[in-house]
Amino acid sequence: MDVSADESTERSLRELIAAAELTRAPELESLMTLLGHRLIRGGRLAEAADLVNSASTHGVRLGAAARQLAQAQLRSGDTTHAAVTIREVLKRDPSDVEAQRLLYRLLKGAGQGVEAHGALNRLVELDPTSACATFAYRERPKLGEIAGRPVRIALLSSYVLDPLVPFLDVECRRAGLTPEFYIAPYNQYTQDILSPASGLYAFGPDIVFLALDLEDLFAAVRGLPSIEELARSKAEIHGTIVALVRELRSRSSALIVVHELALNSPSPHGILDNRRGDGLVQWTADLDRDLAQALTAETHTFLLPLRAILARVGLERGQSRKLRYMARMRHADPALRELARASIRYIKPLKGLTRKCVVVDLDGTLWGGVVGELGPEGIQLGPAAPGIEYVDFQEALLNLTKRGILLAICSKNNPDDVLPVLRDHKHMVLREEHFSAMRINWRNKAENLAELAAELNIGRDALVFLDDNPVERELVRQMLPEVLVVEMPKDASQYRSTLEDLTDFELLAVTREDEQRGNQYQANRKRQALEQSSGSLDQYLHSLEIRAEIGSAQAHHVARLVQMFNKTNQFNTTTRRYQTPDVQRFVASTDRHVYVLDVADRFGDHGLVGAAVVREEGDAWVIDNVLLSCRVMGLSVETALLTEISDAAARRGVTRLAGEFIPTPKNAPCADFFGRHGFRADGEAGGTQRWVLDLDAGRIETPSWITATAKRAT
Amino acid sequence: MDHGDREEGHVSSVEEVVARVFDAEPDSLDASSSPESVEGWDSMGHLNLIAALEKDFNVSIDIGDAMEMVSVKRIREILLDYGVRA
Repeated sequence: MDVSADESTERSLRELIAAAELTRAPELESLMTLLGHRLIRGGRLAEAADLVNSASTHGVRLGAAARQLAQAQLRSGDTTHAAVTIREVLKRDPSDVEAQRLLYRLLKGAGQGVEAHGALNRLVELDPTSACATFAYRERPKLGEIAGRPVRIALLSSYVLDPLVPFLDVECRRAGLTPEFYIAPYNQYTQDILSPASGLYAFGPDIVFLALDLEDLFAAVRGLPSIEELARSKAEIHGTIVALVRELRSRSSALIVVHELALNSPSPHGILDNRRGDGLVQWTADLDRDLAQALTAETHTFLLPLRAILARVGLERGQSRKLRYMARMRHADPALRELARASIRYIKPLKGLTRKCVVVDLDGTLWGGVVGELGPEGIQLGPAAPGIEYVDFQEALLNLTKRGILLAICSKNNPDDVLPVLRDHKHMVLREEHFSAMRINWRNKAENLAELAAELNIGRDALVFLDDNPVERELVRQMLPEVLVVEMPKDASQYRSTLEDLTDFELLAVTREDEQRGNQYQANRKRQALEQSSGSLDQYLHSLEIRAEIGSAQAHHVARLVQMFNKTNQFNTTTRRYQTPDVQRFVASTDRHVYVLDVADRFGDHGLVGAAVVREEGDAWVIDNVLLSCRVMGLSVETALLTEISDAAARRGVTRLAGEFIPTPKNAPCADFFGRHGFRADGEAGGTQRWVLDLDAGRIETPSWITATAKRAT
Repeated sequence: MDHGDREEGHVSSVEEVVARVFDAEPDSLDASSSPESVEGWDSMGHLNLIAALEKDFNVSIDIGDAMEMVSVKRIREILLDYGVRA
């Protein structure tokens, strides 16, 4: 292609893009991608960056092109711009594997060891393959030492278990551990255990996994062994394993974890297997049951439930015949990952990493809906869907208390709305007495969690936080990084399995004290107040990238406004329950102004979450009502709404802005709304407080963490 | 259309797969690249490479062929037998 033809192609592309931008045509993305690739190939990176930016202002995601741009920027040594590009890609698509890989390279290059380790953990989470886990495993030593607690792990196996190491390494790193591994030479587990001078004992393991394959111990199981043969072999296998464990124990104080023995293929007897005395399925189950019993009698020794673990991925996905034939391996990637997650359940309690307390939110977490808005009978909780998923989740939480894990509440609510549910709701599984401590208030959750830890006298690193609201989760992640903040799924039917997948609640033994721990805490429940740490809160609010758009209500807003006037209890300055005809009249009239507030942040769009009604009264404007959804309380977006109202009033030459407030049992969260915005109290009549602000005294400033835009009626 | 314009997730060359699996610079690879010249291409790495080739080119590679795939050139030749031009 000659140069002039190339230039004219580019010119045409730009013309097409300009046209598509105007018409918001769907082909805009493809056109921009084409141009992006062209610019990157031509080394015109600054222009490509401009293009990616312009795409995102048009709501177009240029994933592949943006990634290539970052790669090219990195190659040209421009790490600053590469970082911006990569973070932008990941913000739009957090599961972009290649972008995550680039982010890792960048952090590594910048010498940010801790962050680079974290990026590797995330990378393997996104791409849980042996190749990726192996990559991460090889990278760790290049990042320099980080202050992780060490753990020494030995793997003894009758087959090739080496590929488990990278997966187990990631699990350890995620738990803040720095692991060292020892792998016995292929199929030499017996010699290693029996010889006092073996590599195993020289290594000095904290934990030993003994992974023997049934077929390796008893080759005849592949055929059709007789009843006599089965009985004899069962005794032999049992004897062999117990003898190995005792030998190991005599030379090491390591925790010993023996893998269950499982069949690798369907029974050769087919559907007749469980009708015969020589059936293999029942025989294997008996073998494992006997083994479990025998190992319970040995100190510090466990049987790992391999069959149940592999069942999670299934034989189909968990096995690869090809790996078995080519490399004497047994487990494919999905099984290795699952096995690593099962293995870390033993390592965490061994290293004292068991979490002690689960702190739960209420609305949207323990039940569906907002109790302050719907009342105790309106929430989703009961024996049928929707509601049964929350009952099921609560049962799993209750089960945790039976092994000594504490429960606590951290909820933005009025206690008077919540306590009736805890005490009297027919379908609540968890009651007041199951919670060792509670924070039901309107303060920030990070402070509440810190207080909870202090009250329960446990470390913050012993807390697990479950909340359906990503904004609250991000706050806690940023302000209390030692708390385990669980990424709750949007779909409540996955809550229970999300909880069950956590590997942080394992104990090597359960004591009577564990079982009763919850009651003790409840007995000395105390409330302590902690001071607000406003510095970091400010940082958090800035990081949310809050955008507030304020406009005049139009006819299409009426339905949502009516819903809000009638459902909002907490942030509702006068609780005037306007109905559809009222709102329609307000929107059409000239002496009333209805404002709507739309809020979005980096986690997504909250939609229409605020409103205000203003009426003209002589030379003053009176704020008749202000409402805010509880979803966005605490972000000061109501100030942005007020700024726009006061600016609009000032533009019309109004000098006095008044506000009305009618206290109710529920609207305490907005009782200080006028006061904290500089209004002074101006008397009270018939239960209605009046507040006044002189507009020429100065403008109401929107906080710096909010980008407010006014969409004014034309 | 050259490979730069392909959709995400699609891989167009053996070098790209090798580069990804062993985290090598694509420019450092050529047809002669092999376990001797690529860091990490050991026996375990080879299995990961085969798995990646199978996934990316949507084929199931016979064991004999998999063991023969000891250079970028050989991989490319063998993939032709599977109807894959890479």
